[in-house]
Amino acid sequence: MKVEIDKTYTLAAPVDRAWELLQDIGSVASCMPGAEITERIDDAHYKGLVKVKVGPASAEFKGDIEVQGTDAGKRELILLGKGSDTRGSSSASMLLTASIGDAGDGASELHGRAEVTVNGKMASFGGRMMESIADRILQQFADNFADRAVAMGGGSEAEAAAGRVEEKPAEINGLALLWQVIAGFFSRLLGRGSGAS
Amino acid sequence: MAATAEDIERKDKLEGIGCSRKRKEDPRFIQGQGTYIDDIKLPGMVYGALVRSPFAHARIKSINKEKAMELPGVLAVLTADDLKPLGLHWMPTLGGDVQAVLADEKVAFQLQEVAFVIATERYIAADGAELVEVEYEELPVIVDPHKSMDKDAPVIREDLVGKDEVGHGKRLHDNHIFTWEAGDEDSTDAVFDKADVVVRENILNPRVHPCPLETCGCVGSFDKVKGQLTVYMTSQAPHLVRTVLAMLSGIPESKIRVVTNDIGGGFGNKVPVYPGYVVAIVASIVLGRPVKWIESRIDNISTTGFARDYHGIGELAADKKGRIQALRFNVLADHGAFNSHVSASKWPAGLFSICTGSYDIPTAYVKVDAVYTNKAPGGVAYRCSLRVTEAIYLIERMIDVLAQKLDIDKAEIRRRNFVKADQFPYNTSLGWTLDSGDYETALDKVLKAVDYEGLRKEQAEKRARGELMGIGLSTFTEIVGAGPTKACDILGIGLFDSCDIRVNPTGSCIARMGTQTQGQGHQTTYAQIIATELGIPSEEVQIEEGDTDKAPYGAGTWGSRSTPVCGAAIAKAARKIRDKARKIAAHLLEVSEDDLEWDVDRFQVKGVPDQAKTMKEIAMAAYSDLPEGMEHGLEAVDYYDPPNFTFPFGAYVCVVDIDPATGETKIRRFYALDDCGTRINDMIIEGQVHGGLTEALAVAMGQLVGFDEGGNLQGNSLMDYFLPTAVETPHWETDYTVTPSPHHPLGAKGVAESPHVGGIPCFSNAVIDALSHLGVTHVDMPHTAHNIWKKLHELGVHE
Repeated sequence: MKVEIDKTYTLAAPVDRAWELLQDIGSVASCMPGAEITERIDDAHYKGLVKVKVGPASAEFKGDIEVQGTDAGKRELILLGKGSDTRGSSSASMLLTASIGDAGDGASELHGRAEVTVNGKMASFGGRMMESIADRILQQFADNFADRAVAMGGGSEAEAAAGRVEEKPAEINGLALLWQVIAGFFSRLLGRGSGAS
Repeated sequence: MAATAEDIERKDKLEGIGCSRKRKEDPRFIQGQGTYIDDIKLPGMVYGALVRSPFAHARIKSINKEKAMELPGVLAVLTADDLKPLGLHWMPTLGGDVQAVLADEKVAFQLQEVAFVIATERYIAADGAELVEVEYEELPVIVDPHKSMDKDAPVIREDLVGKDEVGHGKRLHDNHIFTWEAGDEDSTDAVFDKADVVVRENILNPRVHPCPLETCGCVGSFDKVKGQLTVYMTSQAPHLVRTVLAMLSGIPESKIRVVTNDIGGGFGNKVPVYPGYVVAIVASIVLGRPVKWIESRIDNISTTGFARDYHGIGELAADKKGRIQALRFNVLADHGAFNSHVSASKWPAGLFSICTGSYDIPTAYVKVDAVYTNKAPGGVAYRCSLRVTEAIYLIERMIDVLAQKLDIDKAEIRRRNFVKADQFPYNTSLGWTLDSGDYETALDKVLKAVDYEGLRKEQAEKRARGELMGIGLSTFTEIVGAGPTKACDILGIGLFDSCDIRVNPTGSCIARMGTQTQGQGHQTTYAQIIATELGIPSEEVQIEEGDTDKAPYGAGTWGSRSTPVCGAAIAKAARKIRDKARKIAAHLLEVSEDDLEWDVDRFQVKGVPDQAKTMKEIAMAAYSDLPEGMEHGLEAVDYYDPPNFTFPFGAYVCVVDIDPATGETKIRRFYALDDCGTRINDMIIEGQVHGGLTEALAVAMGQLVGFDEGGNLQGNSLMDYFLPTAVETPHWETDYTVTPSPHHPLGAKGVAESPHVGGIPCFSNAVIDALSHLGVTHVDMPHTAHNIWKKLHELGVHE
């Protein structure tokens, strides 16, 4: 099961600060819902963990993250994440190319292109929803990233954003995600737009 | 001599051949009194659950049982390494290959069996299976069989590297299984080179699954003290299974008993021996306790007994009038990771060469190449004889393609090519002898019944208005009743079948057969054959099957072989008893045998009907008052080796209306005329036709076992997999003609599979006919609303 996503999100933070954040792999990882870096091997290699919870069932994905390249000129980061759940029932990999662009007016934009491959149980049972779910996860990632970037600044907005960063759930909540997917589907059906750009 | 009212009443009382006797099985089924595999409960029984591979192709780096073993109630965890010392980690398949019982070092399809957890409760076994930790290293996957023989294709079967043969001739690649050919290639090519018209089409029979209501299951029960193994299991062929188990385990066959009881549908799914059965049996032998394994629905659709996956290229050469001069079919067959294709030893592509169908085609050549892919192994014959659906689908589609090319009516082109009634027995160019048929009469009857010309007129009017209406025809010939032992065997055992009848002193009888009913109604129809042959009322005939300790050896029920093969054995065993009864009657009446004639239920002196002995009287005499030198008892066994297959046929018409906006197909009418020779029970035949047509609808309109490019199954639960219910199923109109088989003792041919084999192309032909004026000659199944909508979109119908 292969899904490709190409999206751009607007950030209410200046371009340099966003680029600074993007180079901090630990922070980037923790913008991923449910993810954390468990071990830093060197500047380019990390070990990570993603916790997923769907109703009463929970799964942990353990994996390796490799920074395949950074390009300061283009403010671009290429990252490969590969992992499998600890029971060995599914595996996933993601090749992410993320870059920061200037949106002017002190704002910037995060551009992400991800190629996600999933095998095993998740691909069999969640196949049809993969695209929507990946979309939602990326949206949450972008929201968290934006919060972090804003929090690095000052003022009340930064404080509020820092608060949201603190509240970040420790795992991906599958049911909530599913609900968002369904809600998105119906709002599209009713012509209200899904909310995501 | 006209039959008297009394004669007719006597005959009716028997409820013999031709009577629509109500099914004797139903009272127990509708009261929940059937005994299915999961109803078996034995003292001390424990439960097994399989650990399955999440990946389609991966190396197993390690298996850690520790956490599973720590779970209270888990008794053992078996892996390939545990079966190795017993030599049972691999098993032979019906396709001449071997298959891993539990994955040996690598897995080659998603949900392949990796380990078996045995526990005191079923839930604990399932929990234990979740706790087994398997570390995999994923490997590149082949899903598309067209890529199997690529130069750089990953090798799926490392165990076969260096072997240039897997049971059926030379292999051309590590992922190649066999090449099988029939007919004359050179002369076929020559006809094609010179032909006025040639049509060619890529035609796929997609991977589907029979999906019987009851999944597979097994209870292995080994008695260590007596050294006896009893196996309760879902098998369409219990005797063959017993022989396989003896070969595998080394236990003398006399100490193995296979019991099948009631089976909730087979449709080919329950012919092979699956890893789940083997591990449950091995676990029972190891633990000395009964071990039960029941397959889940998802595992059933995913791993045991898929069908089809035949990627065909059909070609016909014809003259300008549409007379077919030659046929050339090439097929790429996807057999999955192991060749556990169900076939007779000499027929690796089954009976595919029946693909000339009902037509007089002078020259033909067919070739099938089978390859390995990272998909579940198989395949089975889904409500058909081996590869017959695939064959008939190809010819029935291709003749439509030819008709469209030449702008000849689709009924007319069939008529021009039919084997004529006076040509039977007819030898096909691919080596079969069609026993009997009258195709033209059948087609005419159907066309008249549906007012074919009126329908074509209506279609023309609708097309003018932009509406989509299709008329599909199928005039198929089936090949069933495997089979003559000189041509057919499985593991060296001929495909005969058997019947053992014992008449009791009071005139009732018990009869046992080598077949196994799975819903066909043998208890009902077999008794009718005996009733007519022996004059014993059906009600007093006890039918038993499915216990190898009781029944005589037979090859089981599949490929519509019960009536063609076992039905003949029943008639012949009954006739042996009648021969003895005649001798006893002659003795009792003190006349010569030649002076006696059989009348419904008795032997009477010719011309003196008062002088008679009924079967009841004769039965008592068989145990008391016998002619000098005659042995006591009244019983007989017959092992019937059919001289030929039987060739049922039919003519079907399907009328559909397609919604141009949504692609939704409405089946307006389906008219099915079947000719299965002598009809034993009209009601049961009608039920078989309804069931077969419903499964044809399922395959044509929705069923698909799909995969993504990583070999991950897409849609292996009933949420996705289409199983038609009363909601989706249209009204079926049925009809028949009777052309008896000349070589069958009763003239019967078998009917269960005809509606499936003939129905599938009929649906496709109707759907494609609805699009034919837009230049469409073929679209692959399944014809879901989404697929048709996409096609309509492509054709610009939506603009």
